[in-house]
Amino acid sequence: MQKQQGSWAWLARCGMSAALILAACGLATAHFGRGLQMPATTARDGTLVTLNRYINNPVPDVVLVGSSLTFRLREEYFATPGLRNLALAGGSPVTGLTIVANQRRLPKLIVVETNVLSRKPDTALIERFSATSHQELFFRPVRAAIAAYENFSHAPATHEQVAASLRRVIAQPPSNFDNRIYLARAVQERETEDPTAAAMASVAEIARLSRALEQRGARVLLMELPCEGPIEAARYTRITREIVRKAFPDARQWLSIDVDRTELRWADGVHLDERSAILVSQALDGSLGKLESGGASR
Amino acid sequence: MTFTSWQFAVFAAIVFGVYYLPPVRPFQVQLLVAASLFFYGYGQPELLPLPGVAVGGTYLFLVLALRDRRWLPVGIIFNLALLAFFKYKFLFFDPKAPVLVDVAAIDFLLKLPLPVGISFFVFHNISLLVDLTREKKAPAPSLADVFLYIIFFPQLVSGPITRAGLFLPQIEPKRFSEIPVVEAAKWVLIGFFFKLYVANNLNEMTSYMDFPFYETLQTQDRWLLVILYGYQIYADFFGYSSIAIGLGLLFGYRLPINFDLPYISASFSEFWTRWHISLSTWLRTYLYIPLGGNRCGKLRTYLNLIIVMGLGGLWHGAGFSYLIWGLMHGLLLAIERPFLKTFETINSAGFRALRIAVVFSCVTMLWIFFKLPNFDHAVSYISGMFRPSTNPNPTKLFYDLALLYSLPVILQHLRLGVLFERRLATWEPYVYGALGALAYLEAGPTTAFIYFQF
Repeated sequence: MQKQQGSWAWLARCGMSAALILAACGLATAHFGRGLQMPATTARDGTLVTLNRYINNPVPDVVLVGSSLTFRLREEYFATPGLRNLALAGGSPVTGLTIVANQRRLPKLIVVETNVLSRKPDTALIERFSATSHQELFFRPVRAAIAAYENFSHAPATHEQVAASLRRVIAQPPSNFDNRIYLARAVQERETEDPTAAAMASVAEIARLSRALEQRGARVLLMELPCEGPIEAARYTRITREIVRKAFPDARQWLSIDVDRTELRWADGVHLDERSAILVSQALDGSLGKLESGGASR
Repeated sequence: MTFTSWQFAVFAAIVFGVYYLPPVRPFQVQLLVAASLFFYGYGQPELLPLPGVAVGGTYLFLVLALRDRRWLPVGIIFNLALLAFFKYKFLFFDPKAPVLVDVAAIDFLLKLPLPVGISFFVFHNISLLVDLTREKKAPAPSLADVFLYIIFFPQLVSGPITRAGLFLPQIEPKRFSEIPVVEAAKWVLIGFFFKLYVANNLNEMTSYMDFPFYETLQTQDRWLLVILYGYQIYADFFGYSSIAIGLGLLFGYRLPINFDLPYISASFSEFWTRWHISLSTWLRTYLYIPLGGNRCGKLRTYLNLIIVMGLGGLWHGAGFSYLIWGLMHGLLLAIERPFLKTFETINSAGFRALRIAVVFSCVTMLWIFFKLPNFDHAVSYISGMFRPSTNPNPTKLFYDLALLYSLPVILQHLRLGVLFERRLATWEPYVYGALGALAYLEAGPTTAFIYFQF
């Protein structure tokens, strides 16, 4: 009997300590909000940080949504103030677009990348970051501590702070990295994959969301990021382009990217390297500036 | 239904609640059998007849073998045939082909997926046949007892592989007051902590070891991820085994311990007395010793070690990588064997530390064949560990997170847990409570237990 009582006392102490820790983390979440749900180990988690910031900070003027291609255009590469990049590495532009559309307040301009439309929207991410979703009850103490440390030691730099390093990168010649193996593999994948059904579904959803967003006062434009020649000519790209251009034939719906393609490099055959990403970002800056001054898109 | 799902929590709570009701006491075995069948069929009901066929067939051969031992090899072959059919059929058939053979029934059988836990319950069946006929125990235990031994849900999917002689004597009416509550709670809490906090979080990092993502890694990160995978697979399987042992205790059954700090092993033979102990014990009892063990000369002993470990590798999966993994372990066991006695005479902490480092390095490197069952990918990963990375956009890993998620494995192997059993015993319940809370708060993305695939 005594042994049983000792066991229950042990369990009570165990439960009490667990409950205290949960209560402390619950109170911290209630006090600090979802901003404490912090980063992690993968590119996807880098996106979570961006999405957290988007949800918790004032609404920006311009938002980019897209796939890992747009994900490479880091916010500090842009001179345009109030620009947020919500592109998801490995994700669909529909995910970011839906998250933006589910917020109560909208940015003035939303730019949707149309290169990769064969991926399904991430419903879990949409649910988590929708305005109507519930706040998580508890924050993650270890990840929050690491986030605080990472933010402290590697705080994101502003455009002004990085301007000198951007100039230094651009002043260098284009990379001569031999990407033939990666390019061949990427081309092979894009020759075998048929994106028709998925791309048509994505385009339909983008069109529906665009209409809804524009009715609420935002402007939605599309962009197609430049790719390496063989990727541009691959079956996947051709089919996707045909579908999206058929759905959005009006040139005024497209944001132009006027960049010298001979200067661009794709280190892994698909994604722009750092120098090229800066050049494309600056080209987008130019187009956004023209929009601001009333110029037309392509 | 995995141990970490809410469905399992509900299932276990209901079964536990009913199990100790006084009117149910005479039917506890039947209740556990029914619950185990529900547990097994929950994810793949089309495979539910399989345990019936396996257990029913094994029971039949057991009854026959108890009368005439010549039926024993037939029973073993029956079980090995089941394992071979389900585990290795896809070496010969493409499961994606619309029609494999013209006979519909055979076509259906050929297309069945690998049944969860088949490798484990086939080993239970063989243990049952061999142990009971060796002991000449007659009459045979009841069919319900045999069913419970083989499909008891805590150990059904991934073990521990319990010997019949250890489990069957435990089958008797159980009382709530006899549950070792604290011991069971400690096993369950530590198991969930290692699975959810360590293994699932490390899995997020080691997913970069998969093809083609590993090509984006820097050379030093390839090395780091191999070590992290070593920690992950330990935390994953140790976590599963601990939960199984804790659940077994809650229902009145003591399952064997499966891990004993394997990464402090100073030799490969010691490693196999500390890692997946129930499998290595099974292989020694039912394969190594019948092959002659160390009784037929040195060369035959070395050959036996390599054969047993090679077959142990193939038991994990029908892949060249698994075979290489097993053969390499067998080779390492054979290579170290002549030097072991000399090594044991050297009484130096530094020398022991060096031996631990060598064993850990070899074992960890060989896990690459587990992580990358495609042999070409495994070789490509290893070759990349020895040349500088040329990728200008390498993946960024957070080393601080890697350390924090690996820390429990490191601290456990430094035997810090002993402190709480002795000097800091008063704090023990609070520490376990904190581990339980951390397992919930810091759980990594849900992933299946690694050993479910075997």
